[in-house]
Amino acid sequence: MLASLAWKNVWRNKKRSLIMILAIALGLWGSLLAGAIWMGWGESMVNTAIDRDLSHIQIHNQKYLQNKEITNFIPDGFRVLKETISVPGVKTASGRTLIEGMAASPISTFGVKIVGILPIEEKKVTNIHTRLIEGKYFESNDRNPIIIGKKLADRLNLKLRSKIIISFQGLDGSLIYAAFRIVGIYKTESALFDQSNVFVQQANLFRLLNTEPIIHEIAIRLQSSRLMPQIYNEVKTKYPNLSVQTWKEIAPEIAVTSAAMESFTYLFLSIILLALLFGITNTMLMSVMERIRELGVLIAVGMKRIKVFTTILLETIMLSLTGAAGGFAIGGITIAYFSYTGIDFSAFASTMESFGASPTLYPFLPMSMYIALPLMIVITASLSAALPAWKAVHIEPATAVRIY
Amino acid sequence: MPLIEVKNLSKTYNTTAVPVQAVKNVNLQIEKQEFTAIVGPSGSGKTTLLNLIGGLDKPTNGSVFIEGKDISTLKSNALTEFRLHHIGFVFQAYNLIPVFTAKENVEFIMLLQGIPKAKREKRAIELLNAVGLSDRMYSRPSQLSGGQQQRVAVARALASHPNFVLADEPTANLDSRTAESLLDLMDQLNKDYSMTFIFSTHDPKVIKRARRIITLEDGAIKSDITVAN
Repeated sequence: MLASLAWKNVWRNKKRSLIMILAIALGLWGSLLAGAIWMGWGESMVNTAIDRDLSHIQIHNQKYLQNKEITNFIPDGFRVLKETISVPGVKTASGRTLIEGMAASPISTFGVKIVGILPIEEKKVTNIHTRLIEGKYFESNDRNPIIIGKKLADRLNLKLRSKIIISFQGLDGSLIYAAFRIVGIYKTESALFDQSNVFVQQANLFRLLNTEPIIHEIAIRLQSSRLMPQIYNEVKTKYPNLSVQTWKEIAPEIAVTSAAMESFTYLFLSIILLALLFGITNTMLMSVMERIRELGVLIAVGMKRIKVFTTILLETIMLSLTGAAGGFAIGGITIAYFSYTGIDFSAFASTMESFGASPTLYPFLPMSMYIALPLMIVITASLSAALPAWKAVHIEPATAVRIY
Repeated sequence: MPLIEVKNLSKTYNTTAVPVQAVKNVNLQIEKQEFTAIVGPSGSGKTTLLNLIGGLDKPTNGSVFIEGKDISTLKSNALTEFRLHHIGFVFQAYNLIPVFTAKENVEFIMLLQGIPKAKREKRAIELLNAVGLSDRMYSRPSQLSGGQQQRVAVARALASHPNFVLADEPTANLDSRTAESLLDLMDQLNKDYSMTFIFSTHDPKVIKRARRIITLEDGAIKSDITVAN
């Protein structure tokens, strides 16, 4: 009956309650959507980096991480690659031959990382083949085909089918120069990546190096990112002499930024709720001040002050949760809609790319936030109720009944 | 043992620059089943005395004993609990809960007492029947006339099985016909249920019905007359 009294009291001044409920709903809607966009942004940064080159887990020779020399390849790398692919939960893996070198055109030179790949396998791990804006992904019969980034092509003033001279150090320390034909130009969300990574076929590299097949990096894609800790441990245990890293260790700045997006969302929600706290307090204080006589009568006839406090608290929580339910409903629908269609931020593409995010964001909120938020609202409502409830329990019944 | 015993009761308000002594050294006893009116002009201390007897206010000096228990020493929570179980209140402005129906208003006191739903519903219906509102049980106060609201207030006051009912100017907001009807009801309840009623009033209709009339003047008892039946 106390709950019934509280609920009825919420609707005693319909206009005032509706304005407050609307304010809570719109505040939550805005903060949920903004939070979902941030979370989508963080997720986009992570997915983009994983799809572009990081994959979920990478294996290297431990020395390679300190010194990226060609000689620091993975011993018996193709055996490790084969064994890794057979680990349950691993979707696929690609072995990469990595060489630091220089790319030169008739007008300029630029330092690049030469990534030697087996195109069929690499296509399963990364999505560079989908990012080609010109040319094809190693489908021509050219002698030394190469795929370079748009940014590098612009810096070196090169076009599709242009020749590019790649130089790098061989296994014996000698310098190797080779002419490659540009068969494809790609563009990803990261201009930095585009200007410093060129892709060639491993067979061509091995021929130029005059060596048996060697790989410096094994990039592993998992069936689900949830399996990452488990498979990471398994692979690390299996190859104690190799460096095994998750994408979070390889690119901690992306992991930190992604985590920060969640923190920002909570911070933003907290600020909105803090603003609402004052609004709710004001509404409830008005409601109590209008009912001093009535509350005085309740105390007079025997209602304990703790029950008066509880009633005001319940009213505040009910008012707040009604607004929150509205905010959740419209926020949920909006997020669901945009998580399906995406939000086009191409007008800010250069800003988005500088953060390594796609210009089309797919907002989402983690389940934990849908659980945490109602709790945050109940806490806000409880804090909002403190002053009005304190006022109510300090009513002197004799005075309230006579004067008000 | 008298139902109510007031000993050397005084109340001084210090809220203004000059302290106001609203009740001055009052001594009185009220027995069960009395139908007593405390009368006097405005400012004579009627309501203050009623509030002190009802435990709504604390005396500056003296004591109020209800069935031998000194309520002036009780702490706030204990006093609230005492009022809930021992005293019924009827106010001048009815003071019903506007969002509740008549039945819910009567039930609410029993809810505070922790009485189970079925039992309190049964009693609320009985009481509303007794005060002649069987057809208005589900009406809200705003849908009732002043007289009907005051009848609900009487039913609410009786709901907790109190030792006595304090009624502060219960007829002040009612027209004479409604006031007479309400007094008939209280008179009947006094006789049928042996319920003690103490009124503060300056309404001649109430004074005429009272069987004991205590007159206050400047906070002190000027006269205390028992009227023969």
